[in-house]
Amino acid sequence: MKTIVFISTSRKFVVSPNERLISRLAVIVISRISKVATPVSSNLTVVCLGIAADRSASYQSLSISDMMEKAWVDAPLKGGFNFDLCRRNEMLSGKGIRLPGFRKTGTTIVGLIFEDGVILGADTRATEGPIVADKNCEKIHYMAPNIYCCGAGTAADTEAVTDMVSSQLQLHRYATGRESRVITALTLLKSHLFSYQGYVSAALVLGGVDVTGPHLHTVYPHGSTDTLPFATMGSGSLAAMAVFESKFKEGLSREEGIQIVCEAICSGIFNDLGSGSNVDVCVITKGKTEYLRNHQLPNPRTYISSRGYSFAKGHTEVLSTKIIPLKPKFEVAEGDVMEE
Amino acid sequence: MGSKSIAHEVATNHDILRFGLDGIKGDIVGSHPLESLRETARRNLDEKKLLITDLTYGSAFNLKMDFDKQILSRFQRPPGMLPSSMLGFEALTGGLEDFGFEDYLNMPQDSESFRPPDMHNGMEVRLGLSKGPVCPSLF
Repeated sequence: MKTIVFISTSRKFVVSPNERLISRLAVIVISRISKVATPVSSNLTVVCLGIAADRSASYQSLSISDMMEKAWVDAPLKGGFNFDLCRRNEMLSGKGIRLPGFRKTGTTIVGLIFEDGVILGADTRATEGPIVADKNCEKIHYMAPNIYCCGAGTAADTEAVTDMVSSQLQLHRYATGRESRVITALTLLKSHLFSYQGYVSAALVLGGVDVTGPHLHTVYPHGSTDTLPFATMGSGSLAAMAVFESKFKEGLSREEGIQIVCEAICSGIFNDLGSGSNVDVCVITKGKTEYLRNHQLPNPRTYISSRGYSFAKGHTEVLSTKIIPLKPKFEVAEGDVMEE
Repeated sequence: MGSKSIAHEVATNHDILRFGLDGIKGDIVGSHPLESLRETARRNLDEKKLLITDLTYGSAFNLKMDFDKQILSRFQRPPGMLPSSMLGFEALTGGLEDFGFEDYLNMPQDSESFRPPDMHNGMEVRLGLSKGPVCPSLF
């Protein structure tokens, strides 16, 4: 069976959206009927590639920037998001099937600028709807030796975004051989979040000290940012902001700053149901970063059975445990580790 | 580059469970608003970069870079388990400094339906000694 479809997408003419739609349709028709790999590039060139995986890429290569995209043809395929199941989910919800919803999250994260640098603070409760998923999680993420970032929102998203941007910053440091700047991290974060249009739900407080001085920024899930002397985020942000607005002043000393940050976080811990457990603090000054993990433990465990806990027969016996840490865990700087 | 879906024969033996519902409308408009937005955003960024180099260095620079890009993108190892990481190509495009979801999530070679191409067969196909495809498809 032979089918000939003419597609006129010459580079010299501006391709109207309508024309593009028709030509795209034609390519799909060709590939369906002939069942062969037929990537159609501009100017009616039909190239046959033996690699089956390149076929799907060819559907899109019909715009003015074809010459550029042709260079990609031989590059290996990359991963990333796959939208295959969206259509099925849309159909299912259209037929009245309720898809599982999202779990409510909650956090209090804060940051302020003091006389020598930046102090970041966070609570340690991971909320998952009505359940506390983790009583002592880490919400202050490493970005660069002089930059840290508190994350609120979906825990996986904040971890993934901060890890990814910290990798990019590391690569940038390798390339330039200089200390990362906070504005670089901010631009990378906001351009990433904006390009995903809020589907990556990470609300961040970014703080750091670089060659231009201390900086504090908040980043919203849709990619908008603020530059502030003191900032709060998460469900407990209002409770924490109340403390900041009454007590913050410029040129705070280190102790005063840590004190106010702890008060703000505690205000979130005790007044917001999504936040709880302990207070983590991170103090960043020029050339020095102190991560005070579990700086305060306002909610100690009140009762532990003196006889210990024995589990009934039938529970799986653990013969040996081996944990390989994927990244270095922060040591508790002062005080005791929270009992699990 | 991010493809819309795994390549598959739509007309014959369409696997709904693995590739979702079949529909020509979905192929054109995409199944999620974010999908088309990601593509256009990437394209616009590339076009903007081209325009900037065009204005700063002149059009000859772009042409030369385009040649380099094509040459570097054609570099290939013999077909087999380990595809080239395209170091030269990524150094030219600036992709070396980027790190995104596509670098570690949903990698094609991590897919459960991935079959490593046979080196012997792949080389024969590349030299035109036998017909493709390089990798026998699962379906």
